[in-house]
Amino acid sequence: MAPRLFQAAFGALAAAWLLAAAPAVAQASEQAVKAAFIPKFTRYVEFPPAMQPGTGQPYYLCIIGRDPFGQQIDRAAASETVDGHAVAVRRFADTSPAAVAGCHIAFVAGADDRATVAMLITLRRQPTLTITDARSGKARGMIHFALVEGRVRFNIDNMDAAQRGVGISSRLLALAVQVKQ
Amino acid sequence: MKRIVARTAGWFRNLPSAITAALVVAVVLAAGTAIILQSEASYREQKSEETQVQAGILAASIVAAVDFGDAAAAQEAAEAMRVNRQVRGVSIYDRDGNRIAGFRRDGRTPLPTLAASRAFVSPGIVAEAPILRGRQQIGTVRLGTDRQPLDTRVGRYAVIGLLVLMAALLVTVLGVAQAMLRRANRELEARAAALGAANTELNHQIDERAKAEEQLRQAQKMQALGQLTGGIAHDFNNLLTVIQGSADMLRRPNLKEDRRTRFAEAIVEASGRAAALTGQLLAFARRQPLQPEVIDVNAMIRGMTDLLDRTLGERFAIHTDLSNETCLVEADRAQLASAVLNIAVNARDAMPDGGTLSIATQRVHEETGYMVAICVTDTGTGMDAETIARAMEPFFTTKAAGKGTGLGLSQVYGFASQSGGDLRIDSVAGEGTTVHILLPCSDAAPPAAIEQSPGETRAARIGAVLMVEDNEEVGEFAEALLRELGHAVTRARSGAEALEAAAERPFDVVLTDVVMPGMSGIELADQLHLLQPTLPVVLTTGYSDEIASFGAGGRPVLLKPYRLEALAKVLDDALAGANNEKARET
Repeated sequence: MAPRLFQAAFGALAAAWLLAAAPAVAQASEQAVKAAFIPKFTRYVEFPPAMQPGTGQPYYLCIIGRDPFGQQIDRAAASETVDGHAVAVRRFADTSPAAVAGCHIAFVAGADDRATVAMLITLRRQPTLTITDARSGKARGMIHFALVEGRVRFNIDNMDAAQRGVGISSRLLALAVQVKQ
Repeated sequence: MKRIVARTAGWFRNLPSAITAALVVAVVLAAGTAIILQSEASYREQKSEETQVQAGILAASIVAAVDFGDAAAAQEAAEAMRVNRQVRGVSIYDRDGNRIAGFRRDGRTPLPTLAASRAFVSPGIVAEAPILRGRQQIGTVRLGTDRQPLDTRVGRYAVIGLLVLMAALLVTVLGVAQAMLRRANRELEARAAALGAANTELNHQIDERAKAEEQLRQAQKMQALGQLTGGIAHDFNNLLTVIQGSADMLRRPNLKEDRRTRFAEAIVEASGRAAALTGQLLAFARRQPLQPEVIDVNAMIRGMTDLLDRTLGERFAIHTDLSNETCLVEADRAQLASAVLNIAVNARDAMPDGGTLSIATQRVHEETGYMVAICVTDTGTGMDAETIARAMEPFFTTKAAGKGTGLGLSQVYGFASQSGGDLRIDSVAGEGTTVHILLPCSDAAPPAAIEQSPGETRAARIGAVLMVEDNEEVGEFAEALLRELGHAVTRARSGAEALEAAAERPFDVVLTDVVMPGMSGIELADQLHLLQPTLPVVLTTGYSDEIASFGAGGRPVLLKPYRLEALAKVLDDALAGANNEKARET
């Protein structure tokens, strides 16, 4: 009985670990990929002239709300240089600070979909490339990450981007799972 | 430049055409090969550029895919290259040289790294293009293409090769043809040269022959001249014997009147015969100036029958058969009569035992038009062919020495041909001879009957005569004759002198010699005509080329030697004509 129980207990434990650990491992690599992707988007996006950084000024990559990436995205951004401009990461709790107006790219993850949508609406005042993640909720920015067949892919709402004055390179559009024109 | 081209062209001309053709063929073949090689090289270059461009395009289109590590997107882009059948394979490597996408058409396992792929030598054309994100290389694209399939290329080059070969063949054929043409030309030139030599030789022979013929002719001429001079000498000696003998007799004192008269008559007669002889000579030489008049041949022959009867004698019967069809002829009456008489005498001599002489006239049509034929036929011995052939030669005679001059038929022939007619002889040995005198018909008006009133006497008219003669003796003699006739004579010794005299005082008539040094009688007559158009001029000559050639210009001609009566008559006629003219003018 004891070994059986032990076996059962061990099996249950193992299964529980597996169930718990598998998403965790997937989560880690998935977030790393997204952290690597987000600074790269800068290169494939065209901002209106008023929004473009001045000489010596960086592109601002803002993480608004929850930050699922941590240091990974800081490292990825540090290695990125777009037309001589660095990519600087800024973190905000929400869209209320005035500094949000300087964001070129914003990864938005609210506490829930409502909060995310509210922040996205706020950001629509300005030409900022908004990015959301399916893992965070159903609210969609211009680029919306999704996991397809175990790989990190993204959808692009090119119509929204175009309305905000953000031009997305066709090369990037070619990589998208789905493009909303 | 032009000189260089000319020199090159000349150099080529001098080359044997076969060598030239071979050179051209070599050049054409070399050019063809060069074209093929050049074409192949440029094809390779073009293909490699094309491949490079394709690789570049692919690299540019997958920047984002590689950047985002999206192998599937990169693979999609690579697969799109499959459409191009010439693409053998595509490999896309990431920043680290690891293959992330691509395909191989041959289905073999692709090499996993860029380094391994680079180490492998591909048979096709391979291009590499960096995948650049900004200035940063984030990967590499390798694209291999097939060259055009060999058979396609070979086909293409075969067309060029065929064209080149055909050009070479054409040049070869042309070269061979040219060479053959040149050889033919050379042969032709050689033949032409041979022909030229033969021609030169022939010309030389012709010259030689002409020279030989000329020498022969000269010899014959000399022979004829000897015959002629011999004949003349013989006849003249006879006549001179008579004249000299008679003159000697006349110089004897105490000669009776009747004998004196007989010797003088003998001299006159002999001189007349001598004159007739020279006249015949000139007629043969066709130099005698004829004085043609319109003659009714039938009437003339009728008038001659009595004369012929007397001449031939009683053993001969004369028979005439005169055609009514005959026409008028234009000829010298005296010459024609003499010709008929001559033939009649020949006929008599051919009939030693007597016979019949027939004279017939008829109109015949010859090539040159209608003619009158006077046919004199005898029933004598006839002639053989050789005799007929020589009958018209001067001084050829079958008669015994002293019986004939040999000038008869030749004189007749000369007269007939000078009058535009001909002389023909038909004869059969033993059966007789017919001689035809052919004279052209004349369309001139028939001779008007001369009206002579019986009471009128033609008294000799006397006038002032300008006599021009360069020969002193003849001049003196003529002057004496003219004075004897009662004329007032002024003598000039040249044309110039005569013109001076004519300008000084008026004359009624001019009697001038034709052949004179300086101005000839005819020239003088022309000058005088300009000076005094009505002044009659009488020409006198023994022989004159100018008169024979051009005629006397309508002026009367007094032939030397002339008799006193002839001189009196011609001057009388000239004076009468001048008077008539004056009368008409007034």
